[in-house]
Amino acid sequence: MKRAALLLLAALGLALTVYPLYGTGYGVRAMLQLFMWVALAGSWNLISGLTGYVSFGHVAFFGVGAYTGAILIVRAGWPWPAAAVAGGLAGILLALAIGWPCLRLKGPYFAIAMLGLNEVLRALVSYFEGLTGGGSGLSLPTLDATFPIYYAMGGLAAAVTGVTYLVLTSRFGLRLMTIREDEVAAEAMGIDTFRHKLLAFVLSAVAPGIAGALAARDQGYIEPISVFPLATTITMIVMVLFGGKGTVWGPVLGAVALFVAQEAVWARYPYVHPLLFGAIIVAVVLLMPRGVLGLLQLRYRLPRAI
Amino acid sequence: MGAPVLEIDGLRKSFGGVTAVNGVSLTLEAGRIYGLIGPNGSGKTTLFNCITGLERRDAGRVLFQGVRIDGLPPHRIARMGIGRTFQIIRVFPELTALENLLVVTSGDRAAAERRAQELLAFVRLDRLKDEYAGNLSYGQQKLLEFARVLMRDPMLVLLDEPAAGVNRTLLNELLDAVRALRDQGKTIFLVEHDMKVVMGLCELVFVLDHGEKIAEGPPGVIQADERVIEAYFGR
Repeated sequence: MKRAALLLLAALGLALTVYPLYGTGYGVRAMLQLFMWVALAGSWNLISGLTGYVSFGHVAFFGVGAYTGAILIVRAGWPWPAAAVAGGLAGILLALAIGWPCLRLKGPYFAIAMLGLNEVLRALVSYFEGLTGGGSGLSLPTLDATFPIYYAMGGLAAAVTGVTYLVLTSRFGLRLMTIREDEVAAEAMGIDTFRHKLLAFVLSAVAPGIAGALAARDQGYIEPISVFPLATTITMIVMVLFGGKGTVWGPVLGAVALFVAQEAVWARYPYVHPLLFGAIIVAVVLLMPRGVLGLLQLRYRLPRAI
Repeated sequence: MGAPVLEIDGLRKSFGGVTAVNGVSLTLEAGRIYGLIGPNGSGKTTLFNCITGLERRDAGRVLFQGVRIDGLPPHRIARMGIGRTFQIIRVFPELTALENLLVVTSGDRAAAERRAQELLAFVRLDRLKDEYAGNLSYGQQKLLEFARVLMRDPMLVLLDEPAAGVNRTLLNELLDAVRALRDQGKTIFLVEHDMKVVMGLCELVFVLDHGEKIAEGPPGVIQADERVIEAYFGR
């Protein structure tokens, strides 16, 4: 069973590795986008799916990564891989600075604080025009790096999924879940809940920071509205809720399912898209609050590694 | 025996205008079983919460094995060796029975799993180790919570109404387990409304009423104490 799963994963990895050689330009770009969603949804799952602390502003890490990367590329002439690493570091720093006060807030207050954070960052970025280009945005020098960015984003998605696997099969991951289940009991059992939350939060901010820098390089142009949209956070949340929060493959499944639906429907019926999205949110919350894999896991006692 | 494990001195805690614990002082010695009784709202659970750090006391001192613990966060107090169960069960429902115990430990995982299995066998939940805690019966969840407390091998165990909702057979096992702990030199401090349990188990009983300690003594003496009868039944 385990061997079959590993073989399947290896085959999938190989197929995705050689895909750019055979795929169409559109196909490669679509896969790159999908990788990004897997990385973003998986990251949100690490903090919110496990600890139950709903981050309503997770796109903030993406936006900060995007601006860090873009500014380093444009103003300092950094190569994009180094800028991507810097984007991840920016995510970590922001998570520490924000997590330190905000993770002491309980549940809904944390969610609101994160929502506010994203709006504040967007305003700040618009204000410091000299550095960020303000509302008119920041254009990156032209460079065709779609293939290497495809691999970088793919590696990032794989890394997030791998880290989720490691976390979920460890006692650290179980302890994160105790925070979701009953934070008071967790404290009384000797679990330093604040330290656990902060670690998970920092861990969940790395990939969005890197993804932001990669996306900025890939798109060649960023502006405050394009990298700090609330809709991106919502999409991450819906993907994880649909696939199954607190599972390894739930965010992947959710990202694939929603991305495919989005591409298929959006292309043909642009006005139906938001409607469909809203319908999915309502349906998931009402019919299967644990998501597809969460439901299967609870019903059939699947291992945590699913 | 005889060394003080827990010393509480002038502990006070109010919520708004309500004084829940009003200047309580008491001392617990190692290797004994203590009871805490009193009418509803007399401050028993608040006293437990102040000891374990879940509530911050307004005044007074709490010493555990001679070290001040009031003001420390709950997880630090737990790690020093004070374990507790809750009046309203607080297992982790979407973790399995085994995982409920495993989360408490760090370090060698194999050793932790062995210990968790032993404790589950001790409370006769070993068959249900892979069941989600939320699917267990009320009594089973209570036993699971008890086993979880023991994972850290605490010196002092606070039990908030361990007998409530547990059937006779399970209860007798639980009481045997509590005595076994005492025989290992642990101190047990329990809140309980079931007087049979209190009288049969505890060596010394404290009585709270309106946040004040109104009596302390062996069960037989307490049962005959006029102030205690008055607190429970009125004048």
